Amino acid sequence: MKRSTAEIVREYGPFPGVEAVHGVSYDGAHVWFASGDKLNELDPDSGKIARSIDVAAHAGTAFDGRHLFQIAEDRIQKIDAATGQVLTTIPAPGGGGDSGLAWAEGSLWVGQYRERKIHQVDPDTGTVVRTIESNRFVTGVTWVDGELWHGTWEGEDSDVRRIDPDTGKVLEQLDMPEGTMVSGLESDGGDRLFCGGGASGKVRAIRRPKRG
Amino acid sequence: MESLITAAARALEAGDPLGALNRVALRNDAPSLALRGIAMAQLGDLAKAKALLRSAARAFGPREAVARARCVVAEAEIALVLRDLNWPVKALAAARATLEKHGDLANAAHAGHIEARRLLLLGRIDEAERTLAELAASPLPPASQVVRELIVAGIAIRRVRTKDARDALARAAKAARLAKIPTLLAEVDSANLILNTPAARLIVRGDEHPLLLGEVERLATSTALVVDTFHHVVRRQGTAVSLGTRPVLFALARTLAQAWPADVSREILIAGAFRAKHADESHRARLRVEIGRLRTHLKPLADISATKQGFVLAPRKTRDVLVLARPVEEKHATVLAFLSDGEPWSSSALALALGTSPRTVQRALDELARSNKVQSFGHGRARRWMTPPVPGFPTGLLLPGLPLKT
Repeated sequence: MKRSTAEIVREYGPFPGVEAVHGVSYDGAHVWFASGDKLNELDPDSGKIARSIDVAAHAGTAFDGRHLFQIAEDRIQKIDAATGQVLTTIPAPGGGGDSGLAWAEGSLWVGQYRERKIHQVDPDTGTVVRTIESNRFVTGVTWVDGELWHGTWEGEDSDVRRIDPDTGKVLEQLDMPEGTMVSGLESDGGDRLFCGGGASGKVRAIRRPKRG
Repeated sequence: MESLITAAARALEAGDPLGALNRVALRNDAPSLALRGIAMAQLGDLAKAKALLRSAARAFGPREAVARARCVVAEAEIALVLRDLNWPVKALAAARATLEKHGDLANAAHAGHIEARRLLLLGRIDEAERTLAELAASPLPPASQVVRELIVAGIAIRRVRTKDARDALARAAKAARLAKIPTLLAEVDSANLILNTPAARLIVRGDEHPLLLGEVERLATSTALVVDTFHHVVRRQGTAVSLGTRPVLFALARTLAQAWPADVSREILIAGAFRAKHADESHRARLRVEIGRLRTHLKPLADISATKQGFVLAPRKTRDVLVLARPVEEKHATVLAFLSDGEPWSSSALALALGTSPRTVQRALDELARSNKVQSFGHGRARRWMTPPVPGFPTGLLLPGLPLKT
């Protein structure tokens, strides 16, 4: 396992009216983050919130190219990114103990915080296809270039780690500085990973290490 | 972190404990137990709240020290409101240290305030003040500022420093308006009432006047001879004679002072000091001995002269004699003074606060209950005693800010 300290490239926020950042996602141009009763569209260049959708947003956020997915209480809402309308909802696999959310390969990937699990879920029915075990409390989840990354937050410590999607084995670990919590995670497809900063109300961009 | 926990914590913060309970009612993981505990405390079921917070503290993992410490602080606050003064103070001190170490200064201050309030209730004023001084001087959220100023005011009231008390209460009122918590404003108001409600009675030449705390304070600079029944001392300006360990001598001094400048008959003195209905020769002999002793003690302040019927006080260097007494005199005035905060007390907590045996307190409570001056509820160890509520000093439940969403 490779272990290093996470390199924070940029910090966004805190934003007025945002008490905490829960889920984080990326639509190719903008970062989306959940703040309890809103989904906010953040311009990563200007650092400004371009618009917000009024929708219950208590944990993970994901984007499938057209729709936003957002966990609220014990369900996953499918939201039209253009209109902000909730189209359908499916039950969340953790029954409310759900944390992070990602979209990849036609599936939703849901972190279950205290159970230290990541579930692969059918986005139409909510059926669990398979479950990957981690050894830390799971927050955000994201896929990039076939790599499965997830954030952890246990007690006072947070890190971002790449795990083997078959065995759950930790392959690489980026330790966050003390007191920096990771509540959500999303890759921009390049060398940035966006992390939700929990009650700090911040979103942070960290560098994804290059493959040799 | 977790979706439903976030939703429940948001509901709790928005003042909707039932909404919070709805979301986590059936879950038994550590954060759910903590949220349920806080919600039950807000709904007034303190026994259930205490049990839930205790299980939550146990359920949090070893790496979740801050979350566990917050549960301990909440449990300590509930114990304080329940007047369970035997609650382990070491656990609270440890929780406070953990919160300080991890930078949760607001909740650390809250823990310190709970410690100080407990000391204040126990009458350990100096220690309460020291605890307050130890707290990091970081900017506190308005609700914590209110509590802090209420404690400062409580210390000032116990020390009879009216101006300090008024200043602290003015600051508390300002912070309470910022905090926008109605129960806190009400608590500041009721603390203000204490300053505007008679704190003592003054007995001069057989006449009685009620005194406000400020007037009691001004008495300290009076040139009169004061018989102070609060502290069991006889004093004039800087000179004080303590008769705290000599109840018979103090009773005699007080009776003489109340009648001054008139004299007091032997029969009245004997009845008052020895609780004897009929004075016989042996009582008269004992009275002579005790007056002799009192004369020795009071030498710097007054003389006691024999008259045809009995004795008269002759104060030195002053022409005034005052008796400072409690507003309502009861046989069990000290027990009633503690109960008058309107909160339920256990007899063991009262014994701890009064520094007497539980048996003595129990006897006093039984007697007071027979004359309907106090009432009890619950049975066995859970039995609590209270008086009809009158303005008291910090009694509300604030609970630690629980950033459970983090």
